[in-house]
Amino acid sequence: MEKVGIVGYNQVKLYSDANYGRYEMIFEAVRGAIDKAGLKKKDITTVVSCTNDYYDGRTISNCFTVDVGGSYLTDESKVEMDGAHAVLYGLMRVLSGNHKLAVVWGGSMASCFPYHSARLYETDPTWERPLAYVNDITSAGFQMRAYMEKYGVSVDDIAKVSVKNRKNAAKNPLALEEAQNANITVKDILESEIYADPVTELMVAQPCDGIAALLLAPEKQALKITDNPVWITGVGYSQDTYYLGDRDLSTCKSMENAGKMAFKTAGIKNPKEEIDVAEFFEAYAHEELIFAEALGFADKGKGASIESEINGNLPINPSGGAIGGNPPCATGIIRIIEAAKQLTGEANGYQVKGVKKAIASGQIGMCAQNNILYVLEGSN
Amino acid sequence: MSKRTQRKSLDYVKKDYVKTRTMPGNWYLSSYTYKFNLTHMQPFLKKLKEKKLVGLKCPGCNRVFFPPRLVCGQCLIKPNQWVDLRETGEVASFTIAYLKDPGTGKVQEKPMVLIRQDGADTVYMVELNPEVDYKDTYIGMPVKVHWSEDLKGSLADIEYYDLVEDNARDLDLHKE
Amino acid sequence: MGRQVAIVSAGFTEHASKRSDVNMPELISEAIEDCLKKVPSISFEDIDAYVNGNMPAFEGANIPELWMTDWMGARNKPLMRVTTGGTTGGTVAIAGYYSVAAGLPGIDTVLAIGFEQQSQGNTATGLASVAYGEITVYNTLGITYERLTRILSAGAAIGVASYQATNYMHKSKITEEDLARVVVQNRRNAAKTWWAHLKMPDLTIEQVLDTPYISYPLRYGMVCPASDGACAVLFTTEEKAKNMCDIPVYVNGVSSIAHETAVLGYNCSGSGQIDPSEQLGAMKSAELAYGQAGISFPRKEIDYAEVYSPFPNQELMWVEKLGLFEETTAPQMYENGVTSLKGELPICCSGGVNSTNAIGASALERPAEAALQIMGKASNQVPKTVHTAIGHGWGGSLNLCTMMVMSDEPQRKWR
Repeated sequence: MEKVGIVGYNQVKLYSDANYGRYEMIFEAVRGAIDKAGLKKKDITTVVSCTNDYYDGRTISNCFTVDVGGSYLTDESKVEMDGAHAVLYGLMRVLSGNHKLAVVWGGSMASCFPYHSARLYETDPTWERPLAYVNDITSAGFQMRAYMEKYGVSVDDIAKVSVKNRKNAAKNPLALEEAQNANITVKDILESEIYADPVTELMVAQPCDGIAALLLAPEKQALKITDNPVWITGVGYSQDTYYLGDRDLSTCKSMENAGKMAFKTAGIKNPKEEIDVAEFFEAYAHEELIFAEALGFADKGKGASIESEINGNLPINPSGGAIGGNPPCATGIIRIIEAAKQLTGEANGYQVKGVKKAIASGQIGMCAQNNILYVLEGSN
Repeated sequence: MSKRTQRKSLDYVKKDYVKTRTMPGNWYLSSYTYKFNLTHMQPFLKKLKEKKLVGLKCPGCNRVFFPPRLVCGQCLIKPNQWVDLRETGEVASFTIAYLKDPGTGKVQEKPMVLIRQDGADTVYMVELNPEVDYKDTYIGMPVKVHWSEDLKGSLADIEYYDLVEDNARDLDLHKE
Repeated sequence: MGRQVAIVSAGFTEHASKRSDVNMPELISEAIEDCLKKVPSISFEDIDAYVNGNMPAFEGANIPELWMTDWMGARNKPLMRVTTGGTTGGTVAIAGYYSVAAGLPGIDTVLAIGFEQQSQGNTATGLASVAYGEITVYNTLGITYERLTRILSAGAAIGVASYQATNYMHKSKITEEDLARVVVQNRRNAAKTWWAHLKMPDLTIEQVLDTPYISYPLRYGMVCPASDGACAVLFTTEEKAKNMCDIPVYVNGVSSIAHETAVLGYNCSGSGQIDPSEQLGAMKSAELAYGQAGISFPRKEIDYAEVYSPFPNQELMWVEKLGLFEETTAPQMYENGVTSLKGELPICCSGGVNSTNAIGASALERPAEAALQIMGKASNQVPKTVHTAIGHGWGGSLNLCTMMVMSDEPQRKWR
């Protein structure tokens, strides 16, 4: 696979109830990304957006965003999954040779709608939706319980993940204010309100308002636009089956398959040694451990033994992860942006030293049904 | 599709599909609250109160937007120059909607028009004077603003558009 | 960078106004079966990735492809979802093309699926909710709901199309007989297509004009139905296509240009499209796709066209905007039989969208039928050999337009 470069990115500050309008936010993200790269509107050849009809309260949610998204009289399309899948489509468009600069933007405003009611529409309408026993809240509880029972992981280990992420988010100026808790302890996490036993409220990535945008260009053009582009050297994506009973919830098969495909494409033989930083989209704290084990960073059940602090062996989510703010449809793009910031040295306050290769992930579906993984490399 | 046409088509599609299990359901789109910015509209609404029309001009492409627009898509910048517009305009497009009066059950015909204000480069959806006969509407028909009685600084200050005498009509060789 | 992509097969389901015997996953599995049975040399294991799309507002299911994983055979396989409203099928086809053209390792064969089951939900609400966000702005700025319902009562998709029809009729001076003639041709063609919805082999112009108006100048007899149905198309690389079918169809040009909305602007501003029948976006889309495919004279080089026209005035407009005929001459072409089955440039011999409209699948069925015509396997096959064909789609508020140009010779632009 030829190398594709990330040449610019921008993310608005995440708010749980922003004072913005939707179009203003999209314009800020896209215009900021283009200005950061020093380009003009005429340089854009294609735009891929990522929004969801149900999260935006209207059908054809890309119909009226033509002006603000920079897609006036340009080749434009919309992916309706996580933002990281929109980056995948932008990547495919650049790799085909037809386009020289792709703008990918995505996000939505979770304060406008009851998030869990809208998530209920993902469930099977015949068997699951009438009683609503299986939904995104209870499936989180199922997954955490399955993981804890199979490997004997204690609730404290999982709460420590949330503590680490919230302390990291306190160093990230763009993260959600409610998630920036610099002095939080394991006891606070365990005593917060029950979400779906054993998941408590502070272990959940809270949905909020936000839009993020990034720019992709092929190798030759990326080197002309900026001095240190971040290269995407590998990508892998895979979807597991839908019904929770058909899957083993204590592991994540789709992340394993995505990891295999991405590492093979990037030529990485030993991910534990070669990867310096990981940015996962973990919708719940226990998913971070499950993903780390699925990719081979630790043995099954020993995910808590990874030193994932910022100055540890393998830092995971130095920016706070999705627990630091989860705008639906934008979180995947934000994970890629944070990994890119680590590679270019722009992550002020939470920079990991000596980063050469990083990974970033996105997911969609209950219990991480569809996962996508990117391998990123710096240019120096 | 109307029941009449559907019944007609069923003559040619004689197939009965076996009914499978169905579950009732509904989705509440009305539980959504929309957020939008209106700061760029405030000067426009203030001038409406004074019975004046203004448009917003983009310095990049020189297009004038009426009503004002947040971002010009062609240049990807926020336009910021206000220009005055005349009260006259012309009909850019129209259609005739057939509305069933819920009281009497009769089908009314109402013209729906898109008006382009003189000096602006956008069209806007409005109503015509209620006494206008729909058979008189044609593309290019000149119209003028009819202000409402109480001006509150809202879009409803433009109540409807009146017809203006068309001096160029006798040069028009094609009659609609 | 990139590589040549070919279409090897296309499958359809039976379209009807109410497919009460299947639910959504079973519907698409029918289309996939029909697609794969035409290529007996491969089976589910050989499909490397999937692309799926529909318009989610109609069935009340958000991201339904998560639920339909097993019915598609996509367990533990890569899958991507693309939706853009009316052009969903076109963008699904284009996403299938890009999935193969990108050359990601291990992804050579991609199955693209578009579907819709409109009888499960309310079509009018689904279409009207495009503008919900903008209508609330009008309401905040002082226009009462009562006045809004009067202003927007021309209805969602039909309303915007009727503005376009008025402008087009003013430009080309067509009569209602011209519109009815297009409808008659389409419905008679659909009678010979096994999967179409409205099959009327004996329709006449008088019967079409005998129905009441919905919104001037469109009558009930002229508009498209609302159908349930699905379509599946198989994309693969040039080398593998030669082993899968006799005549692989090479995809040479794709584009999906977006213009600003017509009739209603965003955030309560006016619309920039002063003449909705001018369609700058569609002309640019056609130009881009023809340029990629190396077509300089569309009228001479294209042998067959499938345009997306739920209303007959749009069919007359699109064939001019896409460069197939001169401006304002399209009605004469229909009268003289140039666009009929045995004419020089047959258009929509499957009945077009006027006879079958499952919104998520329609824009995919256009390139699929055009591809089948090139392969010689369409159910209403034109008598002459088809070498180059186009499939087109439009959607949104008259602002999105997709194009796919196919031929039986690869356009080797990556030399």
